[in-house]
Amino acid sequence: MDFAYSEEQRMLTDSLRRVMSENWTFKHRRARQATGQMDERAWQSLAELGVAGLMVPEAYGGFGESPATMLTVHQELGRGLVSEPVIPSAVMAVTLLSHSKNEALKAKWLSAHAEGEAVLSIAWQEEGERYSIRPLCTHAGSATGGFELSGRKTLVWHGAAANALIVSALLDGEIALFLIERSATGLSLTDYPTFDGMRTATVGLDKVTVGADALIAKGAEAEALMNLALDFGITALCAHASGAMEYLTEVTIQYLKTRQQFGQYLANFQVLQHRMGDMLIQQEMALSMTYVAAQALGQSNAAERSRLVSMTKVEVAAAARLVGEAAVQLHGGMGMTDELEVGDYFKRLTYTDLLLGDTLHHLQRMQDMES
Amino acid sequence: MDLTWTTEELAFRDEVREFVKTQIPEDMRAKTFAHQRASREDYIRWHKILANRGWGAPNWPKEYGGTGWTSLQKLIFEVETFKGGAPRMLPFGLSMIGPVLMKFGNQAQKDYYLPRIINMDDWWCQGYSEPGSGSDLASLKTKAEIVGNEFVINGQKTWTTLAHHADWMFCLVRTDPSAKAQRGISMVLIDLRQPGVKVRPIKTLDAGAEVNEVWLENVKAPLENLVGELNGGWTYAKYLLGHERTGIAGLGYCYRELAILKALADRTTSRGESLGMDPRVRDNINRVEASVRALEMLLLRVAADSSSAEPGPKASILKIRGSEIQQDLARLQMQIAGADTWPYDPDWMFAESTFHGPSPDFSPAAAAAYFDTRKTTIYGGSTEVQKGIIAKHIIGV
Repeated sequence: MDFAYSEEQRMLTDSLRRVMSENWTFKHRRARQATGQMDERAWQSLAELGVAGLMVPEAYGGFGESPATMLTVHQELGRGLVSEPVIPSAVMAVTLLSHSKNEALKAKWLSAHAEGEAVLSIAWQEEGERYSIRPLCTHAGSATGGFELSGRKTLVWHGAAANALIVSALLDGEIALFLIERSATGLSLTDYPTFDGMRTATVGLDKVTVGADALIAKGAEAEALMNLALDFGITALCAHASGAMEYLTEVTIQYLKTRQQFGQYLANFQVLQHRMGDMLIQQEMALSMTYVAAQALGQSNAAERSRLVSMTKVEVAAAARLVGEAAVQLHGGMGMTDELEVGDYFKRLTYTDLLLGDTLHHLQRMQDMES
Repeated sequence: MDLTWTTEELAFRDEVREFVKTQIPEDMRAKTFAHQRASREDYIRWHKILANRGWGAPNWPKEYGGTGWTSLQKLIFEVETFKGGAPRMLPFGLSMIGPVLMKFGNQAQKDYYLPRIINMDDWWCQGYSEPGSGSDLASLKTKAEIVGNEFVINGQKTWTTLAHHADWMFCLVRTDPSAKAQRGISMVLIDLRQPGVKVRPIKTLDAGAEVNEVWLENVKAPLENLVGELNGGWTYAKYLLGHERTGIAGLGYCYRELAILKALADRTTSRGESLGMDPRVRDNINRVEASVRALEMLLLRVAADSSSAEPGPKASILKIRGSEIQQDLARLQMQIAGADTWPYDPDWMFAESTFHGPSPDFSPAAAAAYFDTRKTTIYGGSTEVQKGIIAKHIIGV
């Protein structure tokens, strides 16, 4: 093991940090959110830095980077509280496709993604069963020349920005994954703002027909791909949260060093010093745990990999809550307002727990993976 | 010591329950359980319903038109009305300026303002915090100069809850700039319906706006609007904060939210059964219920302790735990709703706008409540300040 960044990792993270501090400031982020849709130029500038192609294999025009590099990148993106669809598209969908055997889809979509010309998302969740990988109401059946799908998917991360969706459905009683273009007839989409400045969508499928080549995988293979995509997504999300915690802690310390009450700087009060110390402790634990997850992504034993990633999610979510809540408390009334970026970071950190399976779910998953 | 409820106490509880069942308007009840925001009209309507029944001032003595209830009765009333889905009673008149006027106001002030508070003819707000004076309230800068027979007030207040609805503000102002921090402060009653008053809502984490910034520019108040003595305001301010802290425990709120939490857990499914049956969830719910029970008894003990004198420093214990339990309840509700809380449009918090979200209707409200309750450990003297009070006044260090 070597914890020092390679020359390439250093250059990449340096430039990301510079771009974040220039173009992902509070003002920039709010302006982009206000438009209610993904900002194409913002996505392009991330793509130019290599973010879109980072996890795309070299054979398809990407960089084929390691989980460790992915971690360093998402830590920087978390510092800048990036709301663009990097995790659902550049991490989860790309990972899923890259590991599939559907060469035609890979050639088309992975290459486009590496160029920054495509946004993808995975529609895997449904109503009625929290965080279940197995579809409940979305069905696929054989149709002339391919398949027909009907059902409803919820909480599709940046669904409205996606050019195509990877949709899970039941095919012959088994989970199957299909790639469906946004323009497909019968596909409807309702887009919603989220609490933390992103977008999510409910996707309706009404007799959507696709060709036989739209099937990515089915059965055990599809389930394995879903788990792999989730594990990569969770690791990226935890790295994002670690970066956000790091930045939020810095901002909070800075605030306490400048805000005066009772004739002195707040940073001089021991009770507040200890709380800042708690934030730092949690942030270090969270980042270290995320390293554990990134290490686990290289595991050949999928159950052990998922167990470690779930463990990471539990640890990082707890840290994220503690750091977010402390930052608000230490900012006092100002921390409660929508007028400082503290609140934005706090809300993003809150959703670290709830997205891609919450603590309850991952404690159960850890248990399931043991047996 | 006798810890049994008396027949009278139980009969009183039944009386309140019956009242709550029949008198809370259905639309109001529905709003409360959906965690939607009560409107100005909702609050006034509820206060007037209570005033009609003679319960407009549950915490006041009879001589001022109150119910003269014991602390136990007050508590029963609070818990039952909250559980029944009533909006909260506004504390600004009843728990804040009302008790101050009873203790320190002159006869004319008592005669004029107190009945109007009971009948909700005036909506009060609290002019305490300022941009540079939060926890360190004594450093406040808003000043009042005496010109002829009136105060001329200039300055800025902040975190003023529901000021956008208010008619009147009880306001801490500096009347002697040369005196030491606490010494030169007075309490003045200001009619907000005049030029020079500017109210700007502060958008908060839940994207709502219950708190405000209030600018006072050459705002006038006749000298008779001074409470107590000139430069004596700090004493009244502290007295008021003591009152605020017992109410701030939010016991009724806790009981209501506990009931909502259990209902949400029961109607949410995971792995084929209700989340309420999941041991991980159930343990958390049971733990928080234990805390609510302990809080209730603590509140009764503190209330009994302060029935003869002003609320003591033990109110700080109540404030700290009460605010934390409110946060726990909100967090657990959000945990039940899970990722369904993610989509959010602030309009969904108002009954006037139809909910058209993708998930169960309680989901956005659960997250909004979690974000909103972060304020409970900050306002009314932050947890850190309260612990300082405990160290100084109970432990004596």
